[in-house]
Formats: sequence, C-alpha cells, structure tokens
Amino acid sequence: MGLSIWQSMQQKGYSRRDFLQFCSAAAIVAGLKETGVAQVVSAFEKKEKPAVVWLHFQECTCCSESFIRASHPIVADALLDVLSLNYTETLMAASGFQAEKSLNDTIRDHKGKYIVLVEGAVPTGADGVYCMIGGKTAESILQTVAADAAAVVAWGSCASNGCVQAAKPNPTGATPIHKLVNKPVINVPGCPPIADVMMAVVTHLLVLGQLPALDSLGRPKEFYGRRVHDTCYRRPNYDAGLFVESFDDENARKGYCLYKMGCRGPVTYNACSVVKWNEGTSYPIQSGHGCIGCSEEGFWDNGPFYQHLPSFPGFGIESTADTIGTVVGVATLAGVAAHAVVTNVRKQKVIAEVHSEEHKEQ
Amino acid sequence: MARVVVDPVTRIEGHLRIEAVVENGVITDAYSAGTMVRGLEKILIGRDPRDAWAITERVCGVCTGIHALASVRAVEDALGIAVPPTAELIRNIMTGVLNVQDHVVHFYHLHALDWVDIISALKADPKKAAELASSYSKWDKNTASYFSAVQDKIKAFAASGLGIFANGYWGHPAYKLPPEVNLIGVAHYLDALEWQKEIVKVHAVFGGKNPHPNYLVGGVPCSINTDEVSAINSERLNLVARLIAQADEFINEVYIPDLLTIASFYKDWANYGGGLKNYLAYGEYPTRGYGQPESFKYARGAVLNRDLSTVHPVNPRDTQEIKEYIAHSWYSYEGGDNTGLHPWAGETKLNYTGPKPPFETLAGYEKYSFLKTPRWKENPMEVGPLARIIVSYAAGHADVKELVGQTLGKLNVPVGALFSTLGRTAARGIDAQLAMTWLKEFFGQLMERVKIHEVSTFNGERWEPKSWPADAEGVGLAEAPRGALAHYIKIHNGKIDNYQLVVPTTWNGSPRDVKLQRSAFEESLIGTPVAKLEEPVEILRTIHSFDPCLACSVH
Amino acid sequence: MGVDIGAHDTLPEASEHPVEYRRVYVWELPVRVYHWINAVALVTLCITGYLIGAPIRAFYAAEAYQQYWFGWVRFIHFFAAFVYLFNFAARIYWGFVGNKYAKWRSFFPLKPSQRQEMVDVFKADVLQVKLHGPISTGHNSVAGFIYFLTFLAFVAQSITGFALYSSMSTSWLPRMFVWIVPLMGGEFGVRFWHHLFLWFFVSFIIVHVYLAFYHDYIEGRGTISSIVGGWKFERENRDK
Ligand code: HEM
Ligand code: HEM
Ligand code: NFV
Ligand code: SF4
Ligand code: SF4
Ligand code: F3S
Ligand SMILES: [Mg+2]
Repeated sequence: MGLSIWQSMQQKGYSRRDFLQFCSAAAIVAGLKETGVAQVVSAFEKKEKPAVVWLHFQECTCCSESFIRASHPIVADALLDVLSLNYTETLMAASGFQAEKSLNDTIRDHKGKYIVLVEGAVPTGADGVYCMIGGKTAESILQTVAADAAAVVAWGSCASNGCVQAAKPNPTGATPIHKLVNKPVINVPGCPPIADVMMAVVTHLLVLGQLPALDSLGRPKEFYGRRVHDTCYRRPNYDAGLFVESFDDENARKGYCLYKMGCRGPVTYNACSVVKWNEGTSYPIQSGHGCIGCSEEGFWDNGPFYQHLPSFPGFGIESTADTIGTVVGVATLAGVAAHAVVTNVRKQKVIAEVHSEEHKEQ
Repeated sequence: MARVVVDPVTRIEGHLRIEAVVENGVITDAYSAGTMVRGLEKILIGRDPRDAWAITERVCGVCTGIHALASVRAVEDALGIAVPPTAELIRNIMTGVLNVQDHVVHFYHLHALDWVDIISALKADPKKAAELASSYSKWDKNTASYFSAVQDKIKAFAASGLGIFANGYWGHPAYKLPPEVNLIGVAHYLDALEWQKEIVKVHAVFGGKNPHPNYLVGGVPCSINTDEVSAINSERLNLVARLIAQADEFINEVYIPDLLTIASFYKDWANYGGGLKNYLAYGEYPTRGYGQPESFKYARGAVLNRDLSTVHPVNPRDTQEIKEYIAHSWYSYEGGDNTGLHPWAGETKLNYTGPKPPFETLAGYEKYSFLKTPRWKENPMEVGPLARIIVSYAAGHADVKELVGQTLGKLNVPVGALFSTLGRTAARGIDAQLAMTWLKEFFGQLMERVKIHEVSTFNGERWEPKSWPADAEGVGLAEAPRGALAHYIKIHNGKIDNYQLVVPTTWNGSPRDVKLQRSAFEESLIGTPVAKLEEPVEILRTIHSFDPCLACSVH
Repeated sequence: MGVDIGAHDTLPEASEHPVEYRRVYVWELPVRVYHWINAVALVTLCITGYLIGAPIRAFYAAEAYQQYWFGWVRFIHFFAAFVYLFNFAARIYWGFVGNKYAKWRSFFPLKPSQRQEMVDVFKADVLQVKLHGPISTGHNSVAGFIYFLTFLAFVAQSITGFALYSSMSTSWLPRMFVWIVPLMGGEFGVRFWHHLFLWFFVSFIIVHVYLAFYHDYIEGRGTISSIVGGWKFERENRDK
C-alpha cells in the first residue's frame, strides 16, 4: 500500500538532492539543528506516509482554514507528499457512507499507527446530541477513533480548552479533548493556531516520529513557551511607559504599546509575535488591536477585552477590581474619619473612662 | 421508494445531514438537518457589546470576519455610531477579499470534485490540456510540462492510497468532462490551494491575522501613518496592492475560465436545483456610509416568484417581515413552538427531541434540525451570491447586469438558466469578479485618502459605555459569501440583553416551516435525478452549489 | 475588665489617684526593624503595583529609547518584592525565637480568654460601647488575629507575585512558582487576584495606622513610639 516519502518523491522525479533539501527545510521547521538532518532523512526514507485522521466536532472550522494557509511546507505538498490525510470532513472527496468507510478503513488498517487531529470541542450535555455525525455522537466517535491512535493532537482552543462554546454558561457542556481521552494529547491552542505552527507540529510528529516536548498544559514548548508580550516588538514602548490611550489616537498612529487598550499579551503564551501570521505578514498587535489572549484557557470569560482587568459580575457596568478597590478604600477612610470624629466628640469622656478604669483596678 | 442518507455531507463547513426520498430515480422529498449546536446566542448574553464581534466571528472560520462586520454594524446601529469613511473603505476591502477567497476555495476545494474526476485526469494528454487551457486563459502556468508534472504527482499519490481523494465517486456516469479538462481542474485545485493563502494576507495587514482578523466597534483597529513603521504605511499598502493584483489575475485567468469551461459541459444542470423562486439580499459595499443602502454596490431587496420586474423593499426592523420559526427545529419557544419571532424578540432554548443516537434515520420525527427556520413575510427565501446578483440585476445595477449578460453570453444560455444548480455556481463566479473589480476601486480610493491625509480610522465618541443610553437595539446586516446575514442586538445597561443571528445558511438549509413550506436546500433537491442510490453525487452537486456552512447556520 | 459607659456619669479626677508606670520592652529590635522595612516595602509595592496596573499618562513627548520609566516602576516593584519577602521570612523565624509578644501563638485566639478579649475589643474600638477594653501589653487579640490574616495575605500575594514573576525570570526562586499559573486558570487569573489583593493592603494600612494613633491617644501608653523604640508604658501592677 503505502510508499515511503522518499519513494514517493522519487516517483515524482525528485532527485536525492531535492529530497535532502526538502528534509532540511522540514528539519528547520521542526526546530532541529543541522546535525539532526540525518535523522530526518532516515525517518523519511523508512516510513510510509503516515495515516492521519482529522475529526471535526464543535468548531468553526477556522483551524482547518488556518491549516491550509500554511506556507512552509505549503499545504498541497503536505497533503500529497508528507501525510496521508484519509479523513477530514472539510476537504475529503467522499461523503456519507463512503466517508465513514474511509475512517473505518484507516482505523482498521493502521491500528496503533495513525495520528488523530481533532478540531473542535465535544459537547457532553444531553447525552451528546449537540454534535452528531452519521447519527453518532461526537463523543462516541472520538472514543472509537482515539482508542487505537498513535498520537492525538488537539487543534485550536476548541479542542484544547473548550474555546467559545465553553464560555459561560457553556450551554452544551463543551469539553476539551484531553478531558475525554485516556492518552496524552498535544494541545495546540489558539483561535485558530498559527498555520505554520500547526504544520510544524505535524512535521515534528511525522518527521521525528516523536512527541514534541510539552509543557504542563500539554502544549509544545517550541511554540507556547513564551508570552506574546516577551517578544512583542512594541515592548520598548511598554517599558518606556508609552501607551495607546484610545484607538487611532496619536499614540496608536505611532505604534505605542496597547496595554491600556486591554492587550492580553502579558498573560498569553503563543508564538504570534515571533512566527507571526500568514507567512509572517503581521499579528494582531502589529495591526493595531490588542491581543485577546486567544490561546489561553477561558479567555472568553476574561473580558471585556478592552479592559485590562475583568468586570465583576453583579457590580454594575464597568466594575473592575480598581473601582471596587477604590470604593473599599474610600469607605475605609470614611469609616476611619467618622470613628475619629466620634472619638474626639467624646474625647473627655473616653479618656476619663480609661483612667477611671485604671483607678478602680488599682 | 428509497431513502438516501448523506451524513456527513463533506466538503462543506460543519455537520449537515441530508435525507432524500427517491422515487423512480428522481428525488421527491428531502430533509436537511444541521446536527451540531453551540448555543452562542446564549453565550453572548450579559457581555460587553464591544466584544460581540470577536465572539460572533467564531461562529465561522470559513466566512471569517463577516460576522464580526455584522456585529460591529449592529452595535453601531444601536448606539448611533458613524464610521469614518476610511474605515468603511478598509472594511469593504476586507469583505471583498473574503468573498474572493471563499469563492475560490469553494469552487476548487469544496465543489469541483462533484464535476471533476481526478482519476480520469490520469488519462489526459498534458499537451492537449495545455493547448486547451491556453486557448481561453493567459495564465502562464498552463504549459504541457506543468500539466504533466501535476499528472505525475497525482499518479504517485494515487499509487500510495488516495488520501483525501479516497472513496470518491470516481468513474460515476455523471462525470462528463474530458480527461484534459479534468487534469486542468486538478492542477488548478492545487494552484488555488497555494494562492488562497496569499490573498488573505490583506486581512493580516488590516486585521492582524487570518482566519479571524480583528474588527472594532466604531471603525477598524489599524491606524494609518505613512511616517511610521508600525502602522499602515506605504510598505503595507504596496503589499496589499500586489496581493490584489495577483488575485485579479487568478480570478480572471484561472477561476472564471475554469468555471465557464467546466460549466459548458454540464449545461443540463441548468435544469436542476432551482428550488425556491424567491431571493433575498441585504446589499453590500456601502459607498457613502452604511446608513444609505441606495449607495451600496449591491442592492437591498427581495425578488418574489422570479419576477425580475419588481424589487420588493426589505425592512429588517419591521417586526412583521423577518421571523424565525422552530416548528421543526430542536428548540422551544415560550409562546409555543408554532409561533414566529422577530429576532429582537428571539429566543434560543435548546430542546432536542430527535432519536437517541446512534440512529439510522430522522424520518418520522416532527423536529429534525438545529437550524431555525427564517421567513420573510412568511416566504421561504434563497440567499447567496445568486440572490444578490438577481436582486441587483432586477434593481438595474448596471455593472451587475453587464457582467451577468456577458457570462450568460459566453455560456450561451438564457437568463432563466441562473435559477438552477449551475446558475448558482456561475453566480458565485460573477460575484467574485464583481468583488474583484470593486476591491480595486476601493483600494484606489483608499490610496487617494491616504494622499490627502484623510486617514481617521476610528470614531470613539460612543466608545465608553457611560455615553450609551440605558436601552438600545440595533441590527447589523451584511452580504456574507453565502448570502444575507443579520445580527440583532438589544443592549441594556451597557450589556447585551439579547443577541440573535439570522445567517445565510439558516435561510437556505433550514427545515420546513410551520406551513410545511420547504427551505432552499430541500426544495432544490426536488426533481433531481439520482442515477446510483449508493453514490448520490447529484445530491452533492446541488447542495454544494449553495456552499453550505452549518456552523454559521446553527451557531 | 471593661466598664459600661452608662454606669459612670461623673468623671473622677485623674490627679486624685496618681498612677505609676513602668517601662515594658515589648518590641524587640528585630521586630521593629522588620516592621519598618515591611511598611516601606509594602507602600512601595502598592504604589508601583497600582502603576503597573494603570500606568499614568506621563512623559509622552519622548521616544521609547529615551526613557524607561515603566521599566523602572516594574524594577522597583520587583526589588521591593524581594526585600519584602526576605524580611517576611525573617519575621516568620522570629515568631519562633522572639519574646512572648512576638511569638506566633500571640496571633491566634486559641484561649477562651483571648476570644473574650476579641469581643471586648470589638465593643470598645469599633462600637465604642465599652470605652475601654482590655489592654494587652503586646497586640490585643483582634490586632493579633488581623495580623495573622495579613500574614496570610502576604503569603498569597507573594505566591501570585512570584508566579507572575516566574514567566519573566530564570532564577530559581521565581521559577519555583511556575506551577501556580495553570492552577489559577492562566496568568490572567493570577494577575487578577494579585491586583485585587492590592486593595486589601490599602485598606489594612489605613485602618492599621489609624488604630495605632487611636490607641496611643486613648490609652496614652506610647503605642506609637513603641514600634520605634520598643518600649510601652504599663501600670506597675499590670503586665499580662
Ligand atoms: C505585597 C504587596 C504587593 C502588592 C500590593 C502588589 C501589587 C501589584 C499590582 C497592583 C500589580 C498590577 C497587576 C495588574 O493590574 O496587572 C502588580 C504586578 C506585579 N507584581 Fe505585585 N504586588 C505585591 C507584591 C508582589 C510580590 C511579592 C511580587 C513578587 C515578585 C510581585 C510581582 C509582581 C509582578 C511580576 C507583577 C507584574 C508586572 C508586569 O507584568 O509588568 N508583586 N503587583
Ligand atoms: C504602612 C504600612 C504598615 C504596615 C504594613 C504595618 C504592619 C504591621 C504589622 C504586620 C504589625 C505586627 C507586627 C508584628 O507583630 O510583627 C504591626 C504592628 C504595629 N504597627 Fe504597623 N504597619 C505599618 C505602618 C505603621 C505605622 C505608620 C505605625 C505608626 C505610626 C505603625 C504602628 C504599629 C504599631 C504600634 C504596632 C504594634 C502593634 C500592636 O501594638 O498591636 N505601623 N504593623
Ligand atoms: N452561512 C454562512 Fe457564513 C457565510 N458566508 C455567514 O454569515 O459561512 Ni461560514
Ligand atoms: S479554536 Fe477557534 S478557530 Fe479553531 S475551530 Fe475553535 S473557534 Fe474556530
Ligand atoms: S502591545 Fe501588548 S504584548 Fe506588546 S508590549 Fe504592549 S502589552 Fe505587551
Ligand atoms: S489574540 Fe491570539 S492570535 Fe496571538 S496575539 Fe493574541 S494570541
Ligand atoms: Mg439565530
């Protein structure tokens, strides 16, 4: 059945030199040093194109859309040469019965060897009826497909932390993948994740044949080890205290720091400010809008987005910690002042009391 | 009588199930079911209206940005915010780019495999393919060596298992293209995949990323400053100019020629899939502010019964015009499931009453979908590129009429051919061409404004919730790639009190209404022949011609 | 024990009964040093912390490379944070080896008499229904308990502070707090709590400083000077 990637490239008339070049490009993507190239080559020479299954649940499909924006390698090459994407509802030719067949064949023929990429959260409310495919619940499909998978990747914030459908009040019980399957899950959060990061995670898995190093939240350290803020090019403005005060004000036009516009860069782990989006074209901050923290768990409930701190529910409009704090502070001051006034009014009496007490005890 | 079930319907966005009743090889009844719901309308309640664009944008990553646009328009409408003209231009550019990119991806990656047989492409003569392609296009990649390289690629691919092309209906008698045209189609499938990631860089320039670029209530978030490296400056504008030029070439030298060539082999499909006779469009591309629909490039209005002589005015605020029903949807309404609600009074209470999964069929269930059923003055309406072209055509918009005439002329078919599966697919191409033309125009105007330093991109007068009335309601409309999109918002004390989305695919893909009138998907399948029950490619052709987006439709 | 105000309608002359006072060494030098380092550090942390959360509109004329004031604010915050942490650690140690007024057990209302004292102090200090509650030589049990809560807040603020700091530092101390971040739902959550606690400290400082003066004024035992010099003045026969 399957050909090794090297064989398939040979068939297409690529020379070994081309192949080596392709491997070193892939290796760079995977964050390897030059010396790792040999390893990549042997991995490619030996392996069949790995079978990959892409599941779709509660999603907006922007993760798929992001994936096809990848530029290195471009997605056409990845699809034809690097992996065998046997199931993805967004792009596959087969529908209905034939689509289910593709999925079942892959699970059967590549038991323990296929990779599952999951896009979307899984609703666990109402026995799973909020997402059904082919008459089956998302959860049952996930369990069946994940059971024999070599690796499970959770694409995007939906699959890694629930994303928008899990925002309060989470009407459908949307649940991230790692809470449902009994095996390690590589979380690639972001709404969506950056195309080239997605491609790099895939290449990392397929080229090195191993899981990338993950942090405590299951995210590849390679791309989620730093905050957007740590490598943001507007950082010098932050350190200098030069802030945008209102959209399109003088400071905005000078590209000052967006911290006061609610930028979540200081609390968000993602590769945006380094890898950037759409082949390095830009990233949210570069185009004038603060980071909304789209790769962080629960980021939808950390709003309003244009405030540095969240509002307190039940305290009226715009109640941030600071307004409440100011109220508490002022109330304390007022209380203290009132107390002082009362004390002074009754000063004589109070002092006398204290002394008389002492007399009595003496 | 047979019941054909297609679930999952693939090469669409989201989770769609079609059940069709076939008698004597022809579809006599059909059920369209959306089987995934997220409850976003409930999640929006209680949040800051200025955040709504980001949340609603996540309704869909395919028509990414258009919900954000509808949302900021709804909030601006509620609060009486006028957007600076420069910001309006940038928004138009964003929308144009989205339409162009989405249509190309739809044509090649979601729809083409219904018409193009990949396996047959392996038999093609690359030289002949090159001659054919060069006869109708100046695209410089259309060479014999290029086509033969693609053919080799596909051969190798076929030998190693077909991946995403496995188990397609290859060899089905409904495929009519000669091998050379199939080869051209496959080659351009790959080219389009590579190209589509380029044009969206325009979104990255103005909105920071794609999918899901940033929008802003009151304008756009990017500032323009040609004296500054970290703003929209001449380098950024040059990039946009180049991307637009590239897109122009791709649309006119690849997409449209391919569309016309392929369509010319499938003219019989001008007889199928017409479905409803009513068309609704909200209009798009404002040129003098969103408050003046008469200035839009695309007209707002409704055409009933395919009567092109009259464009009925559409008032989205009129509580008697647009209503959503749930008689056959998995929801319940306070006032009873047979009532219709105007979106300002809309309700979203989930109530699944279908079969317990796993199930074989939805037949026999009163309610069978998570889509609500929108109606305009009680009429089922088709929305989408076809609808907007028809409405603007009927409204006499010259540029639209001209291009429609040209396209029909090239295909040598009458105007009536538009009302079909083929017409819907052709209309999408026309829509892309118009968007491309206007995109260039808007970009030119943007450059003019930059020249005279009219570069304000944000109106902050009503930014602070303190400046808002205690109660406000607004509606934001847009022409999404798939058609008429409306967001309805009610604001109370600075927070969202109610938020309802009435989405293109909700119009097209909904279950029947309380009077049992079918919506567009269901109606369009009636009368379609199905040659092989187990390989119902015909169902896919018509359904795909709508470019369904189920995440949108249910939200 | 305390006396109800209503029971006294005539004020006795103080001079009729001369009182003898004796000096009691209450706050040892380490406690005093701790106290003032802590006071300075906390005020600094509150001010710089507030500025980090809501930077003021200042120095806008300059270009980024010409100034670093926000960087300095943060630097001072972090510097004060370290001072405050080690100072606090020293006080924890002193709670085991210091005199009885400094001992940890003086912070917990473990004995019933202490709890009774809390009620009395509350009546006297807040409601002023008892004009004069019991006078402890060290801190009274309400004060002690509040300080205990304050110490807990110190711990909480140190944890969230160092958890935040861990993402911008490679040194071992902050790195020990890395695991806190995911527990609190990401850095956003950590920051939020860290910020909210600011207001606890602000309120504490207001009330605490006021009460120090209040007690000094009412009791006349040199409360204020005690935290500088260590001595309080007690009647001969009275030293609990
Ligand atoms: C105990 C009294 C303290 C107070 C009242 C205080 C207050 C604050 C406040 C109000 C903020 C701004 C938070 C925001 O709005 O985002 C802040 C930030 C911060 N604090 Fe503290 N803090 C204290 C102690 C500490 C300690 C012990 C540390 C440990 C290193 C610390 C480290 C930080 C860090 C790292 C930040 C974030 C700075 C940045 O990202 O630029 N703080 N603090
Ligand atoms: C501004 C920040 C301040 C903080 C955070 C603070 C904190 C504390 C703490 C934690 C204690 C308990 C000491 C221990 O037993 O270890 C204490 C005791 C004390 N502080 Fe402060 N203090 C501050 C300012 C002041 C000032 C300005 C004064 C007087 C002018 C003062 C007067 C006292 C006195 C008299 C005590 C002894 C407690 C007692 O008798 O109950 N403090 N303070
Ligand atoms: N239907 C729909 Fe959308 C579009 N176009 C939304 O407004 O696709 Ni995702
Ligand atoms: S993570 Fe975001 S981008 Fe990806 S499917 Fe979910 S909502 Fe869409
Ligand atoms: S713009 Fe955001 S990420 Fe960049 S320096 Fe400012 S706060 Fe940090
Ligand atoms: S919003 Fe998301 S895209 Fe990057 S800059 Fe922030 S993590
Ligand atoms: Mg709706």
